[in-house]
Amino acid sequence: MSTPISLDTIPDLCRIENVQKEDMQERCMDMTHSIYPHDKIFGDYCTIQEYIHCPPQTTFEYLAETSNLLEWTYSLRDMTYDEERNLYEFTDAVGGKTKCYCRTVAHRDAMTVDYHCAWDQGDELWMIYLMRVIPAEPVLNKPGSVVLWTNCHHPYYEKNPYPQQAPADRKIWVGDMWPMFYAGHWIEMQNLKKILEHRHASLR
Amino acid sequence: MEPISLQGVASYLPDSVVDNDFFRLASGIDRHPMFRGTHLRHHIDHDESATSMAVKAIQRLAEKLDLDVARDVDVLITNVTLADLPFVGCGAAITGELKLNPRYIYDLQNGGCVSFIFMLELAQLILQSTQARSAILCNLQTAAGRVFSLEDNRKLPQSCVPGDGCGVAYVTREGNNPVLTTVTRTHGNFANDMEVKAPDGRHWWQPGATAFNIDFDETKIASIVARGNRLVPEALYQALKQAGLGSQDVDFLVTNQPNRIFLRNWRESVQLREEQHIQTLAEHGNLFGAAIPICLERGIDDGRIHPASNLLLGGFSHAGDYSAAAIVRWNG
Repeated sequence: MSTPISLDTIPDLCRIENVQKEDMQERCMDMTHSIYPHDKIFGDYCTIQEYIHCPPQTTFEYLAETSNLLEWTYSLRDMTYDEERNLYEFTDAVGGKTKCYCRTVAHRDAMTVDYHCAWDQGDELWMIYLMRVIPAEPVLNKPGSVVLWTNCHHPYYEKNPYPQQAPADRKIWVGDMWPMFYAGHWIEMQNLKKILEHRHASLR
Repeated sequence: MEPISLQGVASYLPDSVVDNDFFRLASGIDRHPMFRGTHLRHHIDHDESATSMAVKAIQRLAEKLDLDVARDVDVLITNVTLADLPFVGCGAAITGELKLNPRYIYDLQNGGCVSFIFMLELAQLILQSTQARSAILCNLQTAAGRVFSLEDNRKLPQSCVPGDGCGVAYVTREGNNPVLTTVTRTHGNFANDMEVKAPDGRHWWQPGATAFNIDFDETKIASIVARGNRLVPEALYQALKQAGLGSQDVDFLVTNQPNRIFLRNWRESVQLREEQHIQTLAEHGNLFGAAIPICLERGIDDGRIHPASNLLLGGFSHAGDYSAAAIVRWNG
């Protein structure tokens, strides 16, 4: 397939034809800092990743089973399932008696597991946890899984769209914790890693 | 033991100043990233030597601090990028020219762009463990005129970055401006990533028709940038920790000045404002080891460094073989 001619009409593309190598190197150096404020890295997206010494299929299946959130998450507890709506209901204990709703969308071929969630109501599932399991063999040359996990900073994190649905005495909102998502998710990822590695090791 | 004191600094810059056109015309390249950081630089002249530069700088230091150099210098420590003779440093020649009477002379070849801090640390060891009471530290950068101005090298845009100069400091066993702490690190695995190369592949001491140049292994450029971004903040924070200070306690940062990106990154790493980082990259270029004392003098002479300032010094050398940091409490 040849490059479409229309590229010429798109301004400011950085391609070797219009940006010399030394200018590219300068751009890259300019973008490379010694330190980065937390916001620069985790402002609008929070992506974390971890290696887990457990076969990728097993990791995928564990993540795809929604009830396992009871194990590896910090605070999702007391699960019930509404078959008609295909919707799980948890208590998210960081929010006291807050209900957290979840619908899991898993694709076995791509090994993606997306948790479509929301606090307080299950009609608009806007808190979306995007997980992808990658076989470690081709990317790290060792057995096991790499798990990628991304959240995007949906505008609702800034402002609760359904305040009337919240428990009356609850003061916090899930979005208040966005600056701590990296830390919180990293800790939960370690839970996931420990559980899977423990069980996988005991199976061997 | 009481910390040694940095009593004062002085410098000498060669008269010959060249602008970017000197390199632009030779290279035939009009715009290049290398031309953007440095606009002017001094080049050592043919009839000048590292020794003669040091003599002038030390004479200025003696004038500023009212020293009798024959009496008041117990230790002389030097570091020269490209010395006057291949086998020896400049210590003995400087001593002869100025009629100094030091008990100890050391010509250091390590430390490169942060040799000033290695020299400070060595001075501390000597002043605290011998009868010696005072030392002159002498940083000489001569490679700009001696290597990077040569016909073959002028064509390369990166040759516009180095600049020559001499920075000297006077330190004493006791005094007003204590050196609160020093950190020096050697990273032996990075020792061979800076190369002295000639186009015909000969060693630098072998005869040939082309100039040798100093360059970095191209395959390691990204890695060297990453090293600078990591090693220097590590050293700066180690010095702060040893001194029991936080970055908010730092009034001024003085580092070596290889390029504007490193300067920005090191300053950002300790969260200082641009005006708190004293540097002369645009007008002096990369002064190698002489940068720290020359910039210190700049900050003191223009009144920016006021009494009761905490000065954080730091940097790294070559391709990352040495890194260092120090903190001086400046009381004037």
